[in-house]
Amino acid sequence: MLNFLDVPTSLSLASLEVGHHLYWQIGNLKIHGQVFIVSWIVIGILVTASLLATQNAQRVPKGIQNLMEYALEFVRNLTRDQIGEKEYRPWVPFVGTLFLFIFVSNWSGALVPWKLIRLPEGELAAPTNDINTTVALALLVSLAYFYAGFSKKGLGYFAKYVQPTPILLPIAILEDFTKPLSLSFRLFGNILADELVVAVLVLLVPLFVPLPVMLLGLFTSAIQALVFATLAAAYIHEALEGHGDEHHE
Amino acid sequence: MDIFVRLVAGASFLAETAEAEGGGFGLNFNILETNLINLGIAIAIVVYFGRSFLTKILGERRAAIEAAIQEAETRKKAAAASLAEQQQKLAQAQTEAAAIQSSAHAAADKMKAEILDKGEQDVRRMRESAAQDLDSEQERVINELRQRIAALALQKAEGDLPGRLDNGVQQRLVDRSIALLGEG
Repeated sequence: MLNFLDVPTSLSLASLEVGHHLYWQIGNLKIHGQVFIVSWIVIGILVTASLLATQNAQRVPKGIQNLMEYALEFVRNLTRDQIGEKEYRPWVPFVGTLFLFIFVSNWSGALVPWKLIRLPEGELAAPTNDINTTVALALLVSLAYFYAGFSKKGLGYFAKYVQPTPILLPIAILEDFTKPLSLSFRLFGNILADELVVAVLVLLVPLFVPLPVMLLGLFTSAIQALVFATLAAAYIHEALEGHGDEHHE
Repeated sequence: MDIFVRLVAGASFLAETAEAEGGGFGLNFNILETNLINLGIAIAIVVYFGRSFLTKILGERRAAIEAAIQEAETRKKAAAASLAEQQQKLAQAQTEAAAIQSSAHAAADKMKAEILDKGEQDVRRMRESAAQDLDSEQERVINELRQRIAALALQKAEGDLPGRLDNGVQQRLVDRSIALLGEG
């Protein structure tokens, strides 16, 4: 048991890297290479699945066509539930892309043994555990709902800022900043925290003990993808309607 | 507990050696460090439960679609059948209509001929009766004229008679009448 006393020193040397990235230099930009690699892989998976599903479309769907049709149906129902029967149709691709990309990213981070591949620096993981990815997605949502509001009502969209009472104007303006903030941090925080917990547990007890947390992580990842897509649709709906109830987590 | 500690120690040692190998892309086959076993179990669990769940859901979906398509096809067939049936009925009705029309034409022709015939007969009968009427009237007028003339002649004879009648004449007349009686 004396041996046990020596262990902590070696344990502390075990690598658990946060904030290490594989940097690529493009012009003046330093970009996180590992995020791009996994994003491309995720995009590749989605595009391949879509191509395979639509290549030989049957009247009675089977195999991957059935699966992708099911996914499309799910996404369409989600969008319709949030935006409403009348205007949901043009927003299905946007919300669906968000959902599928985030979902596959999260699950790839939780299921694919990325650590098999060693990078010069940093490590491969879900793209959504990088704040840049989630901020980009959240800003896209902001752009989308502003576009929805302006294309529907023109400059009359600003009326909603003083709609119930002008006293709430600062809060209404603040909301435009808090929405992308909360969206991006929720997703980023959940995924990163999940991966960190799993990594720490793996360091402490490599076998079997991390399993429940990993399965919980799978569940959380799926829920986060659903939450992000649902909130995006809800924000778009709010912009289209002008007023209406708030959807907050 | 001891075994776990040893495992961790071994894992961290391997990790250090791996790190010492330096940067650059490469593969890391350290089973404990890459969490392969846990990931394998997780993937197995996901595949096991996910497969049964997905096959169930997708099978149901497929069955529902198949049922819907089949129902639509049977409805289409039924609609086509009823269309054909109705078309047949239409054709039948059209032929019937044509038959009725031709028979009506024939009946109309016949009736026309009959009416014309009857008209001609009527005209003829009326002409005949008119001619008869004319004849009888003529006869009646002629009779009347005769009676009238006879009456006038009698009256004139009666008027003339007293002047021309004397005893001798009367005698002769009576005689002749007696003679006539005797002859008769």
